[in-house]
Parts: sequence; C-alpha cells; structure tokens
Amino acid sequence: MTGLRSAISASLLIRIASVCCFVLAWHVATTNGAISSIFLPSPAQVAAQAMELVSSGELWKSILVSSERVFAGYALAALVAVPLGVVMAVWWPAKAIVDPFVSLLRPLPSITWIPLTILWLGIGDQQKVAIVFLGSWIYMLVYTLAAVQRVDPVLVRAARNLGARDFAVMWQVILPAALPGIIAGLKITLAISWSCVLSAELVAAQSGLGALIWQGKDWGNLPLVLVGMVAISITVLIADAIADRIERLLLPWERHRRS
Amino acid sequence: MPTILSAEHVTRTFSIGRGPSVVAVQDFSLQVEEGEFVCLLGASGCGKTTMLNLFAGFIQPTQGRVLLRGEPITRIEPRCGVVFQSYALFPWKTVQGNVEFGLRMQRVPAAERRRRAARFIELVKLQGFERHYPVELSGGMQQRVTLARILAADPEVLLMDEPFAALDAMTRQEMQEELLRIQEQNRKTVVFITHSIDEALILADRIVVMSARPGRVQAILHNTLPRPRHVSIQLSPDYAALKSEIWNLVESKQR
Repeated sequence: MTGLRSAISASLLIRIASVCCFVLAWHVATTNGAISSIFLPSPAQVAAQAMELVSSGELWKSILVSSERVFAGYALAALVAVPLGVVMAVWWPAKAIVDPFVSLLRPLPSITWIPLTILWLGIGDQQKVAIVFLGSWIYMLVYTLAAVQRVDPVLVRAARNLGARDFAVMWQVILPAALPGIIAGLKITLAISWSCVLSAELVAAQSGLGALIWQGKDWGNLPLVLVGMVAISITVLIADAIADRIERLLLPWERHRRS
Repeated sequence: MPTILSAEHVTRTFSIGRGPSVVAVQDFSLQVEEGEFVCLLGASGCGKTTMLNLFAGFIQPTQGRVLLRGEPITRIEPRCGVVFQSYALFPWKTVQGNVEFGLRMQRVPAAERRRRAARFIELVKLQGFERHYPVELSGGMQQRVTLARILAADPEVLLMDEPFAALDAMTRQEMQEELLRIQEQNRKTVVFITHSIDEALILADRIVVMSARPGRVQAILHNTLPRPRHVSIQLSPDYAALKSEIWNLVESKQR
C-alpha cells in the first residue's frame, strides 16, 4: 500500500518536473534568440497576455460562450442518438432504415458541414450548435448501438425467468447493462464535440475560444493564439474531469472494478 | 407424490451453419415428482443442459412435449426458476436488489419484499453483504446470491445448471452442504445438472444417467442413501457401492 502510494507520488513528481523542463527549454530557446519571437513567443509573453485577458474578463467570456455551444449541441445530439441507438439495437427495421445514413455521413468531418450550416443558420450560436450536433451524434449512436448489442443475453434470460416482461427487461436489464458502454461512448464524443465547435469558430465567428485564436492570428498577436490554445486544453480537461465524476455517480457498481 | 414436471419422448435437434443438424437429445422421457431432487448426470455433450433449457422454456422441443403440472411449457417459465452456472447476477444491483428482483417483478409491496429478501439472504448466510455489488463478492458468495434470488422468487421447480462447477473444491463442498440444508428446510422440487458422480450421490433422490451423442437416458437410479444427508456420507460403504455401480454404467457406455 505504501509502495503503491509512493509510486503514485513519484509519478506525479516526474510529471511536474517533465512539464517544468519543457517550459524552461521553451523559455531558454525563445529568450536567447535561438527561436525568433515572430515564430514563437516566450512563456513570459504568453503569461502576460493570459493575465491581461483574465483581468479584462475576456477569457472567461470566450470559454463560457464556447462551452455553452458545446453543451447545447452535445446534449441535443445525445437526446437524439442514445434513444435512436437503443431502438436500432433492439428492433432491426430501425437499424435497416438508419444504417445507410450512418454509413454515408460518418466519413464526413464536421467542418464539411460549415458551408451549408452558414447558409442555413448564419454565423451565430445556432450554426455552432448545429456543427457540434452534426459532428457528434453519429459517434454517440454507434457507441450506443454497440453497447446495447453487447448486453449478455443470459441476463435477459435470467430476468425473464424471474418473471420480467418486455418493459421491465428494457428498463431494468438492457438499459442498465448497456449504460457503462453508452457513457464511455458519450465521454469519447465529448472531446470530438469540442473540436467541432473550435473548428466552426475558427472559420467564422465573433466570439468563443476559436474566434479568440483567429483574432490573435489576424492581429499578429501570437501570445494570444497560444493563450487560446492553452485555454482550450485546460477547458476540455476540466470537462473530462466533470464527465468522470458524473460517470462514477451513475455507475456505482463499476467503481470497484476501476479502483 | 404427484408428478410436477415431465418430459415425454423429447427430441431436440440443432442446425449449426450449413452442416447436418445435430441431435442434442433423443427420445428423452422423465417424470419428476413434487419435492423430489433429481440429478441429470452425464459427460459434456450429453444434452443435459439442453434438457434444462427445455424445462425452463428457453427453447422448445423438436418432437415430444415438456409439461409443467400437465401443461406444455411454451415460453420462458417463471415457475421453473433457473440457477445459472455463470451466476447471471445483475452487476448494477446490490445483493439486496438482486434478491428482490423476482419479487419486484411479481409486484410484491416494498416492505414485504425487504422482509422476504432478508430471510433468504440470511438463509444463504450473506447477512452484512446486502449493500455489496456482485463484483465485490467471491464466486461462492455470488452463487449464494443467485440461490437466494431464485428462492425468494419462490418458483415451483428449481433448475440448477452445474451451479457449483466453477467453484473450487472446498467452496463446492460447502455449497453442497448449504443446498442440502436448504433443500431439507424448503422441500423444493429440484432438477440439478452435474457431471460429477459424487455431487449426484450427495444431493439427489434419483439420478438420471445420460449418454452422449445423441443425449439419451441410459439409466435411472434411486439414490438410497439416507436423509438428512451430510457431505460426510461420501465415507460410507453404501456410498462406495452406489458410486461403483454408476461408474460401471458410465464406463460400459464409454467402451
């Protein structure tokens, strides 16, 4: 136990040291003239830019705007894709109806939807939400379908043998049995949803983290670009951590397996 | 004692891929009396699990009939409760939730459900583990939960599919003892599948020896060992005599 704990803290120390060394190397390379600040600003410049954006409140605003778009598109996609995936898994005609569209749409990156969605919805929030939705729902659908199809048939037999009818089999056996797989799929899709909103904001937007980066590029303000990139990383990491928490709350029986 | 469960000239074939169909069970007839403990004994591939699936209504006979109280079993039959070799516990439900499941399906009120679940959890000696999830329990404990779950649902017949086969030898013996104790208290009708002559002799009133490919009844023996029984019965001379009798039966078929 103490061995494990010291291994964890040793690993943590190495992680911190690894990041510190990288920042130090970056600092040295950009201040001694090895790399011109035209191509890469120094860490100090990036930090100063970050402080400025934080104190003006602009950074929070951008993070909030992008997060709201992701959340709306992601929630909408989940509301459509999860029930549809479940129905497709248990009722084959539904699968036959939807499958061809899944096959055709899946290879399309979400950015290919940008021209059409701008035409339909403009360049405001709605269009960003639409891009998130279009880029996320198929992944959710595919993961949900697989999760339900993988449910152990012996559990369904056992439930019916204990007197469960169709409705109870669905709600008390198939859905809880598929839930870990469905949630795993939703978690993987979360990062995809974020890349959708950022690509949409990079192409055409007046607000959000993607727009912030593009602004930096237009104004030749490289520190701003880097602040935007770091902010994206940290925001997505936090979103993932929140998703982990929610997963643990929803799947108490899986805790044992993971620890 | 009246007959509760019977198979009349049951044949069941399976078609696998494009090859010729396989006869899993052929012309199998058996009458199980109420309160009786019957073991289906045979090597793997003798169709004993097929017979259990037929009794449970998971599958239907190709020919012949399977009857519960004189009526054909045509769908999954909750009156024939199954104890699966793989436990088949619901991993998202606690011990309590698993044991209550059948009662919930029967719409037993919550208070009564808790009371009955508590009784059967105590019967299988799992008090204190009510809030544990199956994954937190050992194999032997999980099989106890399965037993409590099916006993709480109170089926008329218990169908047990090699329930102790996945357990280590000592836990198996402990579980056999538990089952003997529970059976002597509840007097349930049990159809128990096993490939172990010892297990059949310890548990059964009647032993149906099956031969393989196709699965048929080779012999039906009355187990005359006295009840109440204890696993230590294995040390008695009568036991040895019966065991060698069954042994010879199985051997004769092998050659």
